[in-house]
Amino acid sequence: MSAPKEVKIKIDDKELTVPANWTVIRAAQENGIDIPHYCYHPDLTIAGNCRICMVGLKGAPRPVVACAQPVAEGMEVTTKGKDVEEARKSVMEFLLINHPLDCPECDQAGECKLQNYSYEYGRDHGRFHEEKVVKSKATMGPHVKYWGSRCIVCTRCVRFEEEISGQGTLGVIYRGDRSEISLFPGKALDNPLSLNTVDICPVGALVSSDFLFQTRVWNLHSRPSMCADCAVGCNTRVDLDNKEKIKRIVPRRNDQVNKEWMCDYGRLSFPYVQENRLMKPLVDGKDAPYKEARQAAAALLKKGRVVFLISAWNSNEAFAALQLLAAAVPGSEVAGYANAGRADEVFPGFTISGDKNPNRKGMQEVLGIDADASLKELAADKGKIATLVLVHNIPGYQATPELKAVLDRSENVVLLDLAKSDLLKYGNVAVALPTLTSFEKSGTFVNKDGIHQKFLPVIEPVNFGRHEVEIFNDLARELQHAAVAHAAGNGAVKTKSGA
Amino acid sequence: MADDTKPNPAGVPGVPPQQKADESAAQKNVGAPQPALAGAAPTAAPAAPKPVVPFSPILLKYINEPGSHTLDHYQKRGGYETARAHIGVTDPAALIKLVDESGLRGRGGAGFPTGKKWSFLAKGTGKPIYLAVNGDESEPGTFKDRYILEKDPHQLVEGVILTCYAIGSKHAFIYLRGEFILGYERLLAAVNEAKAKGFVGKGIFGTGSGEGKTAVDLIITVVRGAGAYICGEETGMLSSIEGGRGYPKIKPPFPAVSGLFKCPTIVNNVETISAVTHIVKNGAAWHKQWGTEKSPGFKIFCLSGAVKKPGVYEVPLGIPMREMIEKYGGGMKDGMKLKAVIPGGMSAPVLTVEMVDKCTLDYESLASLGSMLGSGGITVLDESVDMVDAIYNTMRFYHHESCGQCTPCREGTGWLEKLAHRMHHAEGHEGDLELLADVCKNMRGRTICVLADAAAMPMQGFLQHFKGDFLAKIKDKAFVERQRTYRDELSPEAKRLSATGAGPSAMDVGSWQEKK
Repeated sequence: MSAPKEVKIKIDDKELTVPANWTVIRAAQENGIDIPHYCYHPDLTIAGNCRICMVGLKGAPRPVVACAQPVAEGMEVTTKGKDVEEARKSVMEFLLINHPLDCPECDQAGECKLQNYSYEYGRDHGRFHEEKVVKSKATMGPHVKYWGSRCIVCTRCVRFEEEISGQGTLGVIYRGDRSEISLFPGKALDNPLSLNTVDICPVGALVSSDFLFQTRVWNLHSRPSMCADCAVGCNTRVDLDNKEKIKRIVPRRNDQVNKEWMCDYGRLSFPYVQENRLMKPLVDGKDAPYKEARQAAAALLKKGRVVFLISAWNSNEAFAALQLLAAAVPGSEVAGYANAGRADEVFPGFTISGDKNPNRKGMQEVLGIDADASLKELAADKGKIATLVLVHNIPGYQATPELKAVLDRSENVVLLDLAKSDLLKYGNVAVALPTLTSFEKSGTFVNKDGIHQKFLPVIEPVNFGRHEVEIFNDLARELQHAAVAHAAGNGAVKTKSGA
Repeated sequence: MADDTKPNPAGVPGVPPQQKADESAAQKNVGAPQPALAGAAPTAAPAAPKPVVPFSPILLKYINEPGSHTLDHYQKRGGYETARAHIGVTDPAALIKLVDESGLRGRGGAGFPTGKKWSFLAKGTGKPIYLAVNGDESEPGTFKDRYILEKDPHQLVEGVILTCYAIGSKHAFIYLRGEFILGYERLLAAVNEAKAKGFVGKGIFGTGSGEGKTAVDLIITVVRGAGAYICGEETGMLSSIEGGRGYPKIKPPFPAVSGLFKCPTIVNNVETISAVTHIVKNGAAWHKQWGTEKSPGFKIFCLSGAVKKPGVYEVPLGIPMREMIEKYGGGMKDGMKLKAVIPGGMSAPVLTVEMVDKCTLDYESLASLGSMLGSGGITVLDESVDMVDAIYNTMRFYHHESCGQCTPCREGTGWLEKLAHRMHHAEGHEGDLELLADVCKNMRGRTICVLADAAAMPMQGFLQHFKGDFLAKIKDKAFVERQRTYRDELSPEAKRLSATGAGPSAMDVGSWQEKK
């Protein structure tokens, strides 16, 4: 492919060289020049209906919309000036005349483009003294509700449903200022991408029924994170309240991974952080201090056949540390397994991976293990296992027959897990060590396309869990192999064997 | 020159067709000017004096004859002979040149030169080319295409055949207003008759049957709208034909580059395409003998309102507006005095009496008066008309018909209606006039299509020329009552207009009385 042709344009005194197939608004955005917009979205087709992105164009008789205006050689654009400001002001006024101005009870307040642009470009008083148009409210689907009167009919949601999810569930009904977004008869906004419509809605018209009335958004603070729900590895922003509780997860733009989209499964997955967690280490089913637990575990590593079985929900760092720990246990084996997969859910603009493991690729890279084949092999070999170290960390896991078979053949099991899962019942779990969810720890996952992505903790641990790397280091130390700890990169490790 | 093009089988270019005087006399609805009168007009005609050429209706010539919509009738008067002579014979480029030279301008409202539009067609895209004929005639006060569709659809079909041949299209869509039920039936019958005769379909007019000859194929699809004014906007119509909501599309790209199904498309009005038949038949010079320098030819006007003989009149462009009212319309109704004229469909800014006196019916004259020729729907308002009532009625229409795509139009049309409603009910304030003007200003030029302008322009015109009427209603609350009584006492016709919605509706009057 030849390089795209480039043109020179000027936006407000700033001289830019941009590809010839760009629009003015894209050229501006990519160069840090802000042009207000509602209906424009970089991943959707151009609608050009909100009319707020109007800019001045040298030689044009009147302002033009930046979202639909292709760049051309020598073009001179102004984003300021009397004409442009008047145009924006008038659009803001038009948008607000029939708007209910119910910000005090609107979920969007605080992150609403109408509020922001009204503050920035709008009038200081209203001139509309007539009756407002009142539109309907509706439940669009299991996760999405619609407040018609707040809607500015930018049709972002309609275009999303046509172009990205491909379901075509939404359309505009009625005409003029009675226009509303509506479901097509017999359809519901129930596809697993439905909550993206809430994200892209610039106003409070489409709201998430899960987040509705939970909190005011200005009481939230955000941290960047990454979704571990499948092999896509969507970049996310986690919003927390002032008690550090996760309130919602929304996508964060990454054009190589998820653009600005994310599936509903991932967004709504976070409750497992709070639910049924394994709070403290268990030795023979009873709460025990960590020190006691790790000593018990280390003792089990010293006798008979030892197998380390690690799931594809663990980070590259955990794999590497495990490799070193295994090297310190003579004759031990390392095997892997994965959460059961299903078919990919493919939409025109987004694919939800059927591989419900965030790091299958990483396991392949670091340990050289294919998760599914590895478990099958282990299950097929009929030999007894003296100690099985099971590094699990999969929320909501349904144990497969293969794993059950392996557990049945294991004399003792050392379990590293997030929650009090069924695995506690299946095997003879001698020691259980609580671990952390991906929201509580750092690490690296490799997504299905081989992209390495690092994530950082966004909340304090809910339980008394520890990072797998730390646990492996401690076990190694218990085994008098302090060098392992060094190699695994834990700076806090002492050279002497642990206290 | 037409002489450069291929043969004109039916007549030598430049010579008007023979016309019998009694033919026009037989027409009740369509006025035929007497030659002497047609020439006696222009005190205010801006164009250089032209030799006066007698004119009798061309497009509407046969509409009052029984069976004028049938193929038999059409063929008896030489129908489809023009197409037969040109299809597969003439170079299509020569046809485009001929139409360009004729100076034909689009009759749908914008008045864009037809030949020029055709020449903008994107070439060599590898995509099919479409012709979309706009028969979604919904501009209030306009009812000209309807007569062609109902009374003489074959001249449209022949025009479509010629146009498609000229622009290289193999598929034409004719989009009809949904309410035109008779027009739809007759047009569909006409297309089917033409198809049965081999004028439409594969290898039309026997092309492709001889050795080394390429077949000319043509499909004509008749599409009915579902009752939306916006589907008469050219790109709104394309969206509707595509099966979508009738949202106008962003221009550029213009339809000639990327239109119907993202293919190059020419969109023309029914009257324009019908005129193509006659221009190809008679030549460019023949067409240019009427009209003015920049508005050559003839056009159908729809006269309505307070005149004695409302109806459709086909006249040469450039005749004085007064002549249209006095001669064709038979003058004002008894006892009524001219107050204003809306010259080109409801969207055209209103003309005062002084402006009417200066006005000639061509594109330039009306543009110089700040209005437009538009679709040719002339509405004559008399002194009894309450201008605030009239503009409220207009605003109600645009509010109802705005597609709701662009913010300024979606919200602005509703706001204008509500303001006009309040003023009409004598509840306005003086600041409202300023507000109205400002809302209009904010709506204009800020939307994808021109519906916002079409709504704002009449309001601006009324505010500019009849400010007194607005102020009178604000200041004098009894004004409304007096006006109403005057109307009721004036004539039964005024009462009838009231009842049909052209005046204040019974509901409006009732609610106003309750408030009093």
